[in-house]
Amino acid sequence: MSDAKFFQRGKIQELRLELNSDKKDRNYTRKKQTLKKIVANMTMGNDMSSLHQDVIACMSIPVLEVKKMVYLFLINYAKAKPEMAYEAIQTFRRDVEDPNPLIRALAIRTMGYIHVDKVTSCLIQPLRHCMRDQDPYVRKTAAVCVAKLFMQDRHLVENAGFIDLLREMLVDSNPSVVANAVAALTEISERSDHIQLQLNMSIASKLVTALNECSEWGQTYILESLMFVVPQEPGDAEMLAERIAPRLQHANSAVVLTAVKVIVYLMNYMSRDEDIHSMCKKLSPPLVTLLSSGPEVQYVGLRNILLVIQKHPEILKNDIKIFFCKYNDPIYVKMAKLEIMFRLASEHNVEQVLSELKEYATEVDVDFVRKAVRSIGRLAVKIESTAQRCVEALLELIQTKVNYVVQESIVVIKDIFRKYPNQYESIIGVLCENLDNLDEPEAKAAMIWIIGQYADRIENSDELLDDFLYTFLEETVEVQLALLTATVKLFIKRPTAGQDLVPKVLKWATEEVDNPDLRDRGYIYWRLLSTDVAAAKAVVLSEKPHISTETDNMDPVLLEELLLHIASLSAIYHKAPTTFIPHCKPRFLIPSPALRRQNYNAGRTLQHQDSYSSLHNSAQYQQSQSNMRSPRSDEDDGNGGLDEFVSSPKQPQHQRLSYHEQSFEQVAEASIGNQEYYEQKINAENPYRTDTAAVGGSQANRGGGVDLMSFDL
Amino acid sequence: MIESLFVLSPTGKVIIEKHWHELIPRRVVDFFNDQVSKAMAEGEDVTREDVLPIIASPKYQLINVYRDGLTYLSPVTKEVDPMMVFEFLHRIPDIMQEYFGQVSETVIKENFVTVYQLLEEMMDDGFPLTTEPNSLKEIVPAPNILNKVVNTLGATTSVSTRKMPHGMSNLPWRKAGVKYNSNEIFFDIVEEIDAIVDSTGKAVSCEAHGTIQTNSRLSGMPDLTLSFVNPRLVDDCSFHQSVRFNKWESDKVLSFVPPDGHFRLMSYRVNLPSQQNLPIQVKPSINIGANGAKFDITVSLRNTEGKPVENVVLTLPLHKSTTTLTAQCNVGQYMFDPVGKILRWDVGKVVPRERAPVLSGSFGFGSASSEAAANAGYNIGVEFLINSHSLSGLKVDVLKLFNESYKPYKGVRTMTKAGRYQVRA
Repeated sequence: MSDAKFFQRGKIQELRLELNSDKKDRNYTRKKQTLKKIVANMTMGNDMSSLHQDVIACMSIPVLEVKKMVYLFLINYAKAKPEMAYEAIQTFRRDVEDPNPLIRALAIRTMGYIHVDKVTSCLIQPLRHCMRDQDPYVRKTAAVCVAKLFMQDRHLVENAGFIDLLREMLVDSNPSVVANAVAALTEISERSDHIQLQLNMSIASKLVTALNECSEWGQTYILESLMFVVPQEPGDAEMLAERIAPRLQHANSAVVLTAVKVIVYLMNYMSRDEDIHSMCKKLSPPLVTLLSSGPEVQYVGLRNILLVIQKHPEILKNDIKIFFCKYNDPIYVKMAKLEIMFRLASEHNVEQVLSELKEYATEVDVDFVRKAVRSIGRLAVKIESTAQRCVEALLELIQTKVNYVVQESIVVIKDIFRKYPNQYESIIGVLCENLDNLDEPEAKAAMIWIIGQYADRIENSDELLDDFLYTFLEETVEVQLALLTATVKLFIKRPTAGQDLVPKVLKWATEEVDNPDLRDRGYIYWRLLSTDVAAAKAVVLSEKPHISTETDNMDPVLLEELLLHIASLSAIYHKAPTTFIPHCKPRFLIPSPALRRQNYNAGRTLQHQDSYSSLHNSAQYQQSQSNMRSPRSDEDDGNGGLDEFVSSPKQPQHQRLSYHEQSFEQVAEASIGNQEYYEQKINAENPYRTDTAAVGGSQANRGGGVDLMSFDL
Repeated sequence: MIESLFVLSPTGKVIIEKHWHELIPRRVVDFFNDQVSKAMAEGEDVTREDVLPIIASPKYQLINVYRDGLTYLSPVTKEVDPMMVFEFLHRIPDIMQEYFGQVSETVIKENFVTVYQLLEEMMDDGFPLTTEPNSLKEIVPAPNILNKVVNTLGATTSVSTRKMPHGMSNLPWRKAGVKYNSNEIFFDIVEEIDAIVDSTGKAVSCEAHGTIQTNSRLSGMPDLTLSFVNPRLVDDCSFHQSVRFNKWESDKVLSFVPPDGHFRLMSYRVNLPSQQNLPIQVKPSINIGANGAKFDITVSLRNTEGKPVENVVLTLPLHKSTTTLTAQCNVGQYMFDPVGKILRWDVGKVVPRERAPVLSGSFGFGSASSEAAANAGYNIGVEFLINSHSLSGLKVDVLKLFNESYKPYKGVRTMTKAGRYQVRA
């Protein structure tokens, strides 16, 4: 170890000598070489910080390449050794005045990276100058630098007038500057409690003009910022969407998907169905094209497509073929494709979909095969005309005797029985041949449900149940609950066959098992059976509510929220960003006269009822709200028509809450009739939240004869 | 916003590490490596390519791209546009390819300083900055032989004093002052067929993805207009940023000032009708018994306008329990990889109206054979290429040059090849 250290030191010594050598060094070639070595060492993790004096001395060399390496060095070490940065301050000061715009920009950029107070305070004045520099490269670098500074010191940025300067830059003559200014403002707005970006139509229109001329990344920034435009008239939304549409044809998939996001957003503010329809038509081809890119892009594309088609089913409805899986697609791509295939399946294409699914069921990847089998069952439930063929396909799969295929099939066949009673019971015999191989709780529970449900048709149902009961105490709760209910059903349907089994099960459930659900259900059955058999029959064998695949639909509130986050991580996970990203600002559709009502209802009411009650008492909020609305006008007000506004730090919460208030008020008038709908919605299990919650719900209710189905693939 | 970047070697070691915001500790890489090995341990068939491109960790979302053995990993803490991150991460090896001719652990290590300088220019504070190779080369000189000689001899370089246009001109993709003695421009129209074909030879799904790769070696600021004989057969397309979109919308011509060197002018997609005559037909028949299977595969040509199909390669992944294979073929060579359980048949060139290549034989399952082996489906991956052929039929009409007075040499080549092309047995 000491040897290594010595070597290092020797090396450093050597480098220092090289750097300070008096030999003739035309064009600083040798210095460049030495600095290169130092930077190389640094990037490999060797500590070069003791060379700082010698390196900083090189800053005065008027060669860009040298400067760059010195700056790299500074950025790397300044955090750990602030004193190093102090030594550089003088040179920084000189560099920001340098006649070469590249050097000015580089100095500003580097200073922004050095999070040392003294450097930061030296940055403020030059940064302000640079934001109005005559060279666009400097201006564009300065814009990003403001965002950087904001991360370090929010108050400084807010109080030193940088936000206003950024606003001015939105009407800069150079599109790249505009793009960067917009990126910085968006970034700041997302992080800040009391700065909220809001763009009016006139500024939006200017931004879209810049869109055509700036780099691919600049285009994503500008498009992203258009999410902060609230169209006041349907015509505005249409015009904007129309002008953005060419971006759908960009080679960069980030530009394409961000354009999709903005257009889907703007559709909320369009009034004429034919406009929405024509936009939907434009969205399909670029989404298809995303799927010919690399697997990562495909994956992001697929997850987002799944959201978009839930809101606008007409998109891609004729393109199901492109979602067919190739055997060498990565697993995650296959899984995502399968979900979309199921969603796009309709009377017209169900033949093809089913034959694909059958093909997938013979592949080797177990998870994928399971999902394919499950999809066949769901397809039967979704499209009645195909149920017969689906059942046949499942029977074929059961004949293969491949264990997990058999189990998966049985699980979905139970759902088919529920959906179409008295149609396919003839296959029960085949199912019963496979009892011995069931080892997964879900498959066991499904099979037991079938036996219980058809206890009177299956000749030896009592024997079959008895076999299962043999291991009752070792089973999972899911299976135990199924066994309990099935045994009671057997007893009610065939008292003689069930009379030996029922007492046994009830005793186990109430005395031997710790699970409260099981115990309670046991007691309820026991009492029902002992007091009033007729009542028990009515409850246990009652007509079951119909199942449909509509439970697969995403909670509309969540869907609306996720649609505002297309192309982001939440759209991949299908989870609201606030649930997994700390300090994330929630987004929602901001009301305007142009906002389509029904979306709006589904989107907002639930989440903001709470804030409503606290707000309602305070007239002051009303006031603040109207104050804040007043600056919104489409007139050019000298700021280039921008009304991105900054409220004073004293009222950080007002602005956000005021939206809630207004949204709720408007909704309240519009949707009194919807009250019932919401209550149901609240009580219902959200199938997307967790699988276990849905399962739990169905178990808890089964005793009462109500089986909630959860269809999660 | 990209916060940090790690480039990992095939063994998961950090080669490059760069932080634009806070320093993200290397522990995150260990976590990532664990997740990768965990995912790959899940099944025999799971490869590195099957690992999710976005992995959640308690604190970070690990966005990663795997290319040529290297992993480009970007852990993020905030909501980001993953598409942008992927695009950017892919740009890094693209640019390195452009600079160093190849991308590997060794190449990166040999060019550490250049790579860091590039990253510095490509991104500022998490915002992608300059990613156009043309602009980058102006800022960060590429290591070429000339540079090396110049550096070692200590001769004058112009790098330090040169004025750099910085992506801030009206044409960020083209550098000024380009000069060639002979002006030439080449277009390569390459169409890849993505298809799923069932065992009867019918296409279940079928599309052609075309790209027009361009190599421009033109002086000055040439303004070009490329027109097609039949532009309307294109279903969807995307363009290099130099292409004036409005011109395409109105006149269906490509009007652009090209960047210098290689670039992709246009990508397009053509949906092929399902009764489309595919150029090649692969007829497999696999009869599976309890302990193994007999198979034969025939390759025949259809509809290639008399052109030969070259580099034909068929790969047939077999079930994992397969232990033995015997086969014979009348054309080319076959190979069985007993570890990966893949049968690969290099057919080579297939000429129309010559005898059809056939591979036949049998394979056997080992003792551990199961129902799954006997019921597994088989897919054959097909590779091939046909020169001077365009499946969609897209044809270049004329190329006009404005703004410059020279007469350039213009070259157009077309090629059709298999993309993700598979045949179900």
